[in-house]
Amino acid sequence: MRRLYLSTTLLFWLLVAAFWAGSLYLPPADESLATAAEKTYTKVDLARHATEENCWMAIRGSVYDLSAYLPEHPSRPELVLPWCGKEATEAYNTKTKGRPHSPYADELLNKYRIGKLAPDKP
Amino acid sequence: MYPLRFLSIPMLVVAAMAGPVYWALPVGLSLARSLGIVVGWAGCGLLLASLLLMLRESRLAQGLGGLERMYRWHHWVGMAAYVLLLAHPLFLALDAWPDNRLLAWQTLSPFGQGWPVWLGWLSLLLLMAGLAVTFEKRIPYRTWRWLHVGLGLAVLFGLLHLVLLGIDEPVWPILGLAAFFLGWRIVREDFGLAARPYTVQAVRPVAEGMVEISLKPLADAFKVKPGQFALVAFFAGPTFRGCGEFHPFTVSAVGADGEIRFGVKALGDCTRKIQSIEPGVMARVHGAFGDFLAERPAVPQLWVAGGIGITPFLSLLRAGPVNQQTVLLYLYRAEADAAFLPELQALAENDPKLSLQAVASGQTVPDLNTLLPDAPSLAHHECYLCGPPGMVAGLRKALKDRGIAPRHIHFENFEFR
Repeated sequence: MRRLYLSTTLLFWLLVAAFWAGSLYLPPADESLATAAEKTYTKVDLARHATEENCWMAIRGSVYDLSAYLPEHPSRPELVLPWCGKEATEAYNTKTKGRPHSPYADELLNKYRIGKLAPDKP
Repeated sequence: MYPLRFLSIPMLVVAAMAGPVYWALPVGLSLARSLGIVVGWAGCGLLLASLLLMLRESRLAQGLGGLERMYRWHHWVGMAAYVLLLAHPLFLALDAWPDNRLLAWQTLSPFGQGWPVWLGWLSLLLLMAGLAVTFEKRIPYRTWRWLHVGLGLAVLFGLLHLVLLGIDEPVWPILGLAAFFLGWRIVREDFGLAARPYTVQAVRPVAEGMVEISLKPLADAFKVKPGQFALVAFFAGPTFRGCGEFHPFTVSAVGADGEIRFGVKALGDCTRKIQSIEPGVMARVHGAFGDFLAERPAVPQLWVAGGIGITPFLSLLRAGPVNQQTVLLYLYRAEADAAFLPELQALAENDPKLSLQAVASGQTVPDLNTLLPDAPSLAHHECYLCGPPGMVAGLRKALKDRGIAPRHIHFENFEFR
């Protein structure tokens, strides 16, 4: 059993190091693609996507289509679903006792970005 | 062992693992992420089962096939949980790897993350450190035991990691159960609430580095049968200061009025100290455990004892003559180590069905093949072995080589770490 412990622990740290090295030497290919041909959505557009199956949210000025991600979100659905179709920056910034989501979540969110939110008319 | 008792721990382990996995079974997610979720919950269920298996309650132990068996499973289930939990963050990171390697590292990295991930990491590191300590047998038992408690904290931190992620629906009951098992173990067993008070009535040296201690109950005596063992802690007496830790000792005699006797050999710091114990010392006794000699069928028997391993057989012989033809092979290093030998010789002389073969094996491992009866004379025998783990392992092999099926070989050795 001691041998199993030593080998699995060593393998774990090797893989952790591999993930770290992978992030250093092979950065994501081309980030400029995300900003090309950006669409702008209004709050009315946003409000049309307010269901679990069709859930858009505006966070920090960007619009995200989170329909595909919602089943993966770790917290209870009733915490997240009310924000579908809405400007949800405040909720995003104050999860778990008022703390913002992690940089990991920010990175994850980028995958679902579909455009930017039109500014409110004066 | 009855089938239900034999299957009880495997069924418990499967249920503890399958319950949370079924609840959290991912649908429509990528393979790596699904695996990450499944191994995380499976590891969580196994840790809970492992906590249950460290409880020392005589009824629970009876239902689960004995304390020793529970401890073996406790070790393996804990180890399996550790391996699954190591794989958990790796699978989650692997999910992001093909599209975005930075995201993969950020999934795994504790830097720049919040409490939910920090607690996950803390739990994993505590498990890692706690297991490293578990395998280190050179640490004194008292220190080792408290360091081992760190593994319990790892379970609690791991569950809090889930709560902070917002997954609290199934986690609160699991957290409640884990805290209950840990609290139960510490309060009832380590602090001795489940044990009964006794006092040392007499002490006599029976061999080099071995004493027999007679205990008298101060309240209701617990029920014990010859061949069973109990967890006993010795405290203070007129001049003696015991270490107050519960250690397993086999009963060497069950007397009238609840009096019990234990043989104690100096095997570690605490048992070495016990060699100078005196009458009047306070003790607490928790038990009884074990069914080593309880279900003996009506066929001829071979008993093999190594050193202190003579005590379960002695307690049975002291309770009355054997009812089957029985050969007792008693192995000890030298005459000075032959505890209870004159008494055993006297018992064998007065019991026509008992034949005693006492052998001083010296400092080297004895040649078991020459000591054991040959295969034809062992046919239809039930074999009972008690002694150091190395000797028991050698005996099992030698008996198997003589064509004895494993179900006819019963053994007991104490490995409680």
